[in-house]
Amino acid sequence: MPQTTIYVSPRSFGVPDQRPPAVATSDLARLFAGSAALAGVSLTVEGGRAVALLGPNGAGKTTLLRLLATAIRPSFGSAWVDGLDLDRDADLVRLRVAYLSHATGLYDDLTARENLDFAAVMLDTPDRRVRVSRALEDMGLGTRADDRVGTFSAGMRKRLALGRLLLTQASLVLLDEPMAALDDDGMTLVEQLLDAWKGVGVTVIIAAHSTDRLETHLDARVVLDRGLVAEVSGEGVTTAPLTVPADPRPAVATR
Amino acid sequence: MNALRREAAVALAIARKDALAELRGRHAVIGTLFFAAVVLLLFGFALGPDSARLAAAAPGLLWLAIVLSGLLAVNRLHLLEADDGALDQLALYPVARRAIYAGKALGGFVVMLGLGVVVLGAVGILFAVDIAAAWLPLLVTVILGAIGIAAVGTFYAGLTVRLRAREVMLPLLMLPVLAPLLLASVKATAAALAGDPLGELGSWLQLLTAFDVIMVVAGAATYAYVLED
Repeated sequence: MPQTTIYVSPRSFGVPDQRPPAVATSDLARLFAGSAALAGVSLTVEGGRAVALLGPNGAGKTTLLRLLATAIRPSFGSAWVDGLDLDRDADLVRLRVAYLSHATGLYDDLTARENLDFAAVMLDTPDRRVRVSRALEDMGLGTRADDRVGTFSAGMRKRLALGRLLLTQASLVLLDEPMAALDDDGMTLVEQLLDAWKGVGVTVIIAAHSTDRLETHLDARVVLDRGLVAEVSGEGVTTAPLTVPADPRPAVATR
Repeated sequence: MNALRREAAVALAIARKDALAELRGRHAVIGTLFFAAVVLLLFGFALGPDSARLAAAAPGLLWLAIVLSGLLAVNRLHLLEADDGALDQLALYPVARRAIYAGKALGGFVVMLGLGVVVLGAVGILFAVDIAAAWLPLLVTVILGAIGIAAVGTFYAGLTVRLRAREVMLPLLMLPVLAPLLLASVKATAAALAGDPLGELGSWLQLLTAFDVIMVVAGAATYAYVLED
């Protein structure tokens, strides 16, 4: 069983009133082989909110998350994370975004600990060994830490991938179907993670088909349909026409 | 300085990860070595039992075996990243793209160097070539050749790893680029084995070095485009 308190490192977001939108998109579109997976999405998400991205298969949820994670580039339109342009400042955006996709991105021939240790080096996580051990414990994988990931079930792999997110200093966490393959304990773990991230002001966007388990943890819901925003409800998300966020780079600590 | 140190740490972590995965997936290492041995044996059979002809052809056979089995090795290093979205995850880390290239190329170099040394030994035994007499220039040639194959292979294996036809595309793209390396390596090996009577060994090693520098710089500068989906 996972621990009840998950350790999430504190973040500094500067002066609260001056925090730029966590996410802002303006007519964001992405074509694949001439077909629009995302057909012009304009959204603004306030910092510190937990937002569900809903919609049927092919609605554009994964494409939107991949664009925000800088995994792919937009075909048209613009987007900003913490005021940083996704296209122009991709390197800085990657410091601020943590993304869990359908694929776990793990190495089968390495152990769980080695996988997280590698991620910690890539993420420049302070107190690496302590944080890796803690993440393994928090995800309920402490007893399997030195087993190869190739021997893990789909649910355990998903837990380990969630543990990798705990090693980041991200201000925006993007989760694509995080409940998939998880058992009841695992789903509780995702709920605890959501609360922990919200507690330190991290913005979370979750693509899902259903929010049954997450209802009480969410601030807003955005429904996509055929690449467009069909409906927005809740607090902290707007679809109003966007004014381009001020460039925050002079005020942002860069590495 | 801090940025350089960080990039070095990233590159070493990637190379270490690749080495660990390769060692644990021993079937891949053994398969590559077995393939190199089969290539040498088949070429040997094709040339016939004439030991003088085999010895004369040894430099060319050595490098054909290294290059052909190297295709498998560098492809395998990127296939590790293709499993379960690992390459996409690697691209999302907030690290310099050239550090990722350096790490993958370093891992490839270590594998190619090991492969080169083993194949060199096999050529010495199979074709009765005295490699001990010229071990130092031969080792330098293998090191320079391994750097070049790793530098080119890392780039093209990254480029083709997401393709369905990657097994076909990788040799089609990589082998023409490796032609100058193959030529210089064969000539350097032949000169080293003959005791360098014409004093040409240095020139071929310089050509190999220039090839390596150009390929490493070009690979590091363009690997960001390879990582884009």
